Order: sequence, then C-alpha cells, then structure tokens
Amino acid sequence: MNKSLMISLIQNEMIKMIQKKRFYVVLLVLLVLVPIFAYAQMKQAEDKIEKYGSDWRREVQQAITDNQNSLGSDRVPEEWKKYRQIYIQQLKYYLEHDVNPAQPGGVSFTREFLDNASSLFIPLLIMGIGSDIVSSERTSGTIKVLLTRPVRRWKILLSKLITLMMFVSLIVLSTFVICYLISGLFFGYRGFDAPVFTGFQLSGSDVDVSAVHAVPQWKYLFMQAGLVWFVGVTVAVLAFMVSVLVRSTAASIVIMMASLIAGSILSNMASSWASAKYLFMVNLGLTNYLAGTPAPIEGMTLGFSLAVLGLWAAASLVVSFLVFTKQDILH
Amino acid sequence: MMKKTSGAWRTAVLVSASILGTLLLLSGFVYAVRDVLYPASSLAGLPAAPDAAERAGRETVSLDVTALGDSLAKGTGDDTGSGFARRVVDLLTKQGAKSKLVNNLGINGLTTKELLPMLEEPGVQYALKQAGVILLSIGANDLFDDGQQLETRTEIPTEKELEKAIEGASTNLVKIVKRLHEINPEAQLVYIGLYNPFSDMEQLKEAGDDAVARWNAVAMEAMASLKGGRVAPTADLFTLRAPSYLSGDHFHPNGTGYQAIAERIVQGIAIP
Repeated sequence: MNKSLMISLIQNEMIKMIQKKRFYVVLLVLLVLVPIFAYAQMKQAEDKIEKYGSDWRREVQQAITDNQNSLGSDRVPEEWKKYRQIYIQQLKYYLEHDVNPAQPGGVSFTREFLDNASSLFIPLLIMGIGSDIVSSERTSGTIKVLLTRPVRRWKILLSKLITLMMFVSLIVLSTFVICYLISGLFFGYRGFDAPVFTGFQLSGSDVDVSAVHAVPQWKYLFMQAGLVWFVGVTVAVLAFMVSVLVRSTAASIVIMMASLIAGSILSNMASSWASAKYLFMVNLGLTNYLAGTPAPIEGMTLGFSLAVLGLWAAASLVVSFLVFTKQDILH
Repeated sequence: MMKKTSGAWRTAVLVSASILGTLLLLSGFVYAVRDVLYPASSLAGLPAAPDAAERAGRETVSLDVTALGDSLAKGTGDDTGSGFARRVVDLLTKQGAKSKLVNNLGINGLTTKELLPMLEEPGVQYALKQAGVILLSIGANDLFDDGQQLETRTEIPTEKELEKAIEGASTNLVKIVKRLHEINPEAQLVYIGLYNPFSDMEQLKEAGDDAVARWNAVAMEAMASLKGGRVAPTADLFTLRAPSYLSGDHFHPNGTGYQAIAERIVQGIAIP
C-alpha cells in the first residue's frame, strides 16, 4: 500500500517534469552546443594537421619543449610551473609508451569534453532542472493542492527528490550519448579501445608513475561518467535545498548559478587560500583525479573531495526535509 | 485518449531509462573510486609499442630540420620567433629543396650537461630520426652563464674558471655528438659555432674572444671525427657587426643576426 503510494507520487512528479519540458530544453542545449564545440575542435585539429601532418609524436614533443621553455622564465608564476612540470612528465610518459595522448575520434572528444564540462556545464544543466522543483509549485500555487492531500509531506518531498535523481542520470547519460553521436560526425566513431593512462600520483610538482595503468577508453568513459554523475547528484541535492528554502524560482536559480560560477573562479585562484577546499564548488572536478590533472588546492584527493561533496549533500538533505516538513506553506 | 497513452509510454521509457542509467552510472562511480584509490598498476592491454625503427618511418633522406640545444636554437631574441631553424627551412625551400621543420627542441639556458640525458628521451629521439639536417647549438651557457642570470652578471669568468668550464663542456660535447650520430647516422649534423656576445663591450671583449676561439676549436675537433658533421662558424659575423646583429639583451642575435647565421648554415648543406 505504502509502496504503491510512493510510486504513484513519483509517477506524478515524472509527468509534471515532462510537462515542464525542461529536460527537452537540456537536450536542445546539448544538441546546439556540442556541434559548436566539435566544429571548433575540428578547426583546431585541421590547423595542427597542417603543421604536423598526422605525426602526433612530433606534436607532443614540441609541447614538451615549449613547456620546458616556459619553466625557465621568471615571469611564469610558480603555481603554473608546477602544473606544467606535471604535464611535461605525463606527456613524456605517453611518448615513452608510444601512446597518443589525444587519439583523434569521437570517443576522445567525448572524454575531453566531459573533463571540461564536469565542473560547470553539466552542473548548470542539472541545476536548470533542480532549482525550481519545489519553488515552482509555490510560484504557481499548486503546492497548496499538493499538500492538502492526505499524504505526509516528507513523502511528497522524497518523491520529488527521487524524480530529480532520475533526471540527473538521464542528463548525464544523454550528455555522453549526444556528445559521442555528434562528435562522431566530425571525427569518426572510433576510439573505444584506445589506451588512456590513469593513476598518476601527484605530490607537489612530482609525478609518481608507479601506479599508472592503461585502461581502454571505453572503461575510462565508464569511470568518468560515474564521477560526473556523483557531481551531478551533489549539485542536484544542493539545488533541491535552495528550491525548498527560497520561494522564488528565479532567486533559486540565481543562487545556484552564482555559487557554481564562483566555484570555477575560485578553482583558478584558490591555491593560496587553503580552506577554500572545504567549499563544495571547488570540489566538482572529480574527473581530474582520474586524468591526473592537479587539484586546485594542495592536499585535495579523491577521497577528500568525495567526503566534502557527500557532507554538503547530506547536510542539504537534512535541511530540506526539516524545513519542508515544518514550514508554513500556506502563507 | 491517444495522447494519454503516448504520454504514459514516454513516462515509462524515461523511468526505465533512468533506473538503468542510474545503476550503470553508480557502478561506474564505484569502479572509478576503486580505481583511483587502489590503482592496480599494470600496463597490460597496451598494444605492443612498434619497433623504434619502424615507427620512425622515414620515406626518403630528406632535408627536414630538427634544431636542438640552447636559446640560440630556440630563436630567443628573434622578434618573429623564427630563429635560425625556421629560417634555414625557408632558405632551403627558396632554393627549391623540399624541407620542413620537424621540431625545434631548443630550450633557453640549456647546458651540455642537461642536453645529454635529453637525448635518451623517446620523443627527442623520434624528432632526431625524422630529420635529414640536425642543427645543434650548445655550449654558450656552459661558458658564459654558469647558472647565473645574464642580466645580473657583472664580470665574465676568470681564466681558470673558463679553462675548467671548457674542459667539462668539451667532454660532454663529444658525447653529445657521438650520441646524435648513433641516433641518426644519415643526417647532416651542423654545429652552430659560438660567437662572442660581448664583442660590443669594451672590457669583456678580449676575454670573450679568447674563450670563444678555444671553444670553437674544441667543437671543430669533435665534429671533424664525424661523417656528415660540420661546424657553421658564426664568430666572424659578430666581430664587427655585433650592434646590428644582436638583440636588445646584448647576448642573443636579433632577426637579422639569425638570418645571417641561417645563411651560413645553408651554404654548407648538401642538397641532393
């Protein structure tokens, strides 16, 4: 009895979500933006081919030399030098094992796009769905209808949360699929079994390669999707809380958007402010740990970021449910 | 009625897709966390690296250029960024030869000691094997820089220091040249001779001239033992024309200076 009530509640939320057409907007955004990125990337690739032919080894070696040159310059901040030293060592590792770090193809495009999208682009899409899931009912007044039914409030909220989680999965998956399908038109659909190195252990500017292992690109995408999904869930739960706390949809979108963008700004300059690492928005780049890109702040690890995100998510769930069940909605 | 059914359908599809998707993503997440936290170090599954000779895959003996060495090889001081490497390619092309720049591996401040281990890097070896002409410029930093910034240098090394620097650097140079020849025995190897960067400074001119002359003799000897090797002298270019050939830092050539060096290099390149 209880179970079927929950299912029908979720079904109800699903239908509302579909009627709002937000998910289609997300798909549309992807369908418009991904070709633009893919086209830009293709132009860049053509430019490289003109200079290096299909000879990626020369290109990688030149990248190494150029970065080595910038290390000698006093005008380059120490922080960047650290990044570049790490980058040089990783590129050398690829050359030593004769593996192309940027195998052309739709799969590689998807991998790179997702690495870049995981901390801002995908959270923004998810936020677009999550930010008004409760507040929109208030804006339209339907919340009164919803709450006058003989159903306990936390069940209503839970059904909304579960629906949101379902859409998080749908968004993450469709980003991958759309990215692959569209970039395949530009670069071809190959590359699933191309090897990618993962497991670079960073300490300062040193790279420990003892744990490095090669994974086929499909497995890498699989892991990447999992991490992006976790980021998405956290952002969704936070947006969910904001939408419970704030009455206006516009305000809740602005709040989430501002904190996400603040996160991407902070990540670029937070290295001198170490306690910024406890902010959720600095920890959204989980895929960095997979790729071996240095985290924005010294001392951040995958375990640390997961803990921070998990705590923020748990706290916002508690707040959401406490507030929603106690709140005086009708005024 | 119709609409309602299609709506229900859509919901059902979305629900099942999202449940399956969540399971898939969750397992990806668990897998990723396990992989990052407990990495299993293995390079299994990696396609066997092709043979070094095979991957070099040179079609013909070409005039493709790889430049190697210090800031001179890199082209520091040239406002166009071309340096002598790109200018050599341009000159060769102008003469009707087929040539391109494979790689410019010049690194500012590089010494002979730092260049030696670089030669063992696969990427560097690859670039060298691709080339028909290897341009090497090294040694200036061993002699004049010695870890100090040029801008802050107040005096050039004493006689004794110089003697020691030349001795150490020359052993390295011989090793470098030998190794280059081993890596690519077919390439024409051109060593860019040193010039005296202080020839426009009264108090440093003499000592500098002396050091450069000695070093160039060492280089000449090292290259002479090598088939396909030669030195492109540059010291004479700068003796009287230093003001118009040197860039603002009074050490590196400017565009005109690099052009003059490039012409010297090309004059001695065998064009098949």
